[in-house]
Amino acid sequence: MSIKANKETYDGVWMPRRDFFTRMTWFTFHSAVVGTLVASVRLMFPKVLFEPPMSFRAGFPEDYQVGEISERWKKRQRTWIVRTEEGFYALSGKCTHLGCTPNWLPAENKFKCPCHGSGFYPTGINFEGPAPRPLERFRVTVAEDGQLLVDKSRVFRQEAGEWNNPDAFLRLKA
Amino acid sequence: MALISSLRSRVQATEFYRSVFRHGYSGTERNRYRTVLTNVFLHLHPLRVPRSSLRFTYTWGLGGISLLLFLVMLITGVLLMFYYAPDSRRAYDDMKDLEFAVAFGMFMRNLHRWAAHAMVITVWLHMLRVFVTAAYKKPRQFNWVIGVALLVSTLLLSFSGYLLPWDQIAFWAITVGTNMATATPVLGAEGPFSLVGYDNDLRFVILGGRFVGQSALLRFYVLHCLALPLVAAVLMAVHFWRVRKDRFSVRVSSLAAEKQAAAGQAAKVDVWPHLVSREFLAMVLTLVVLVGWSLLVDAPLEEVANPNNTPNPAKAPWYFLGLQEMLVYFDPWIAGVVLPSLIIIGLAVIPYVDPNPHGVGLYGFRHRPYTISVFLAGFLLWVVLILIGQFFRGPGWNWYWPWESWEIDKPIYAKGTDFPWYVGAPVLLLYCGTALYLPRRLWPTVFVGLSSGKYVIVMGLLAVMVSLPIKMALRLLLNVHYVLVTPWFKI
Repeated sequence: MSIKANKETYDGVWMPRRDFFTRMTWFTFHSAVVGTLVASVRLMFPKVLFEPPMSFRAGFPEDYQVGEISERWKKRQRTWIVRTEEGFYALSGKCTHLGCTPNWLPAENKFKCPCHGSGFYPTGINFEGPAPRPLERFRVTVAEDGQLLVDKSRVFRQEAGEWNNPDAFLRLKA
Repeated sequence: MALISSLRSRVQATEFYRSVFRHGYSGTERNRYRTVLTNVFLHLHPLRVPRSSLRFTYTWGLGGISLLLFLVMLITGVLLMFYYAPDSRRAYDDMKDLEFAVAFGMFMRNLHRWAAHAMVITVWLHMLRVFVTAAYKKPRQFNWVIGVALLVSTLLLSFSGYLLPWDQIAFWAITVGTNMATATPVLGAEGPFSLVGYDNDLRFVILGGRFVGQSALLRFYVLHCLALPLVAAVLMAVHFWRVRKDRFSVRVSSLAAEKQAAAGQAAKVDVWPHLVSREFLAMVLTLVVLVGWSLLVDAPLEEVANPNNTPNPAKAPWYFLGLQEMLVYFDPWIAGVVLPSLIIIGLAVIPYVDPNPHGVGLYGFRHRPYTISVFLAGFLLWVVLILIGQFFRGPGWNWYWPWESWEIDKPIYAKGTDFPWYVGAPVLLLYCGTALYLPRRLWPTVFVGLSSGKYVIVMGLLAVMVSLPIKMALRLLLNVHYVLVTPWFKI
């Protein structure tokens, strides 16, 4: 930079014109580079996803028996619907360790992940293997037509205290 | 014969021939140099190399063989692309067509698959060789870093190619692999100190969606066929160029000879024909083995990918089994993100934290007992992890001896005991303190020439490496689940 070398010459001048333009040019160049990089990174995040909708109708409450871990929607929606005395909850079929699909083992009354051996109680609470936290639950409500409506985009985590949220458990009126 | 030789000399006299090959074939020094200098493919070579650098028992030809395998995959990959569409609805059918309907389709796929496996091995062994002969030392430090980057590219190329057959193992290996990205600190939705959600975290951008589907297949296809090969090719060009510019390391048999070699006094021979002919021989022999293997053994293809049915056990490709085995002992973000990063960083900094300038070109344990021991221990640890994952893990990732049937139901390994924090925290602190303080105190001569900063880096990395077998022993023998449990991480 010529600023130092010519200090006397440019006394009282904030910045020589040549240095000013040099810096502005480099600034423009680097802004363009950074801007292009940001644009390229943003491009990699899709705005529209061609994936199946995140909510589905799971039939009428009467279709389920009390105490049943229903595997009816596991294949298509990767979700278990559980009917208890009080009502319904929807369990995510995605192991909280690394995302494999656990299997429901009725004989042992537990979910068991085939990948790394994590085990979960019917409530979704983890009790063995490397899974760090319980299975997630989805929002269950009743749609206008009386069917169960499961919204997989709304997730409730036990360890965050979210299972107490009214949407995490569909309480049936007695 | 006379006819052929007269024909040859007439062809060689034509203007066309002389415009292609500007030099004669006779073995004069001038012709030898011009052969290398005027050929775009040969000119990455120098004109002359130290005679002892060419000894097969010095380099084992591992770098060159790795390049050859890369080229084999470039050619077979292009051929396979003619019959493969990255469309999740038909990708698996295309694989079946390659096996049964395309002439030599299966053979090309075999070549591609086995070359990939072989390249992972040769790249690892190449690194081992360069380390043991200290060829990474001044002035070749940065080329070692490029080499580490090439190792990472090789593994990423394998990983990205793994999804393309769209069979069960492809789908689930990539599901498990990319879910590790969810556990990345800050950038992953489930990682500690996360700033992002499932719809914009690292895993989302790798897959281009919420789960492994069409966009993930397209992304992996583009990465595998275009982006990563380009990166690898550029890195290779830099790597080879620097091998030449930093001069070949010279095979020596003593420290005195090493000094001579460093001064450039080693006896040299012409690259053409001495090096080029050896490269040709290595190429032919490697191809013979590879083609033979591909004729005898078919690359596996499992059932079509099914997101609802996870195979048990779901194993990663063998070269990633070390990673998968580490997942058993630590949180996903530690085993899947922190430890792999530390391994890569640790490898890359080796030339800069090794204060010992000696041993270049020497298969000499005596001159560098500690560095070689540590590196070999790390290498061996990695191999052991892979062997455990491959041969000792069965359904549920339970421990099965190789002679045991997987039909036997194993008692599920119960969640072991955690140390309470008032035991775990002091134990960890004591471990770190001991690792950083004691060695220099006890064996000051070992660390001569190492500044305090570098000492901390070296011993920190070493402490992490040693902690792995310790944690494995605690888990496998004493059923200790975690040493320290905090709300943010478990160790």
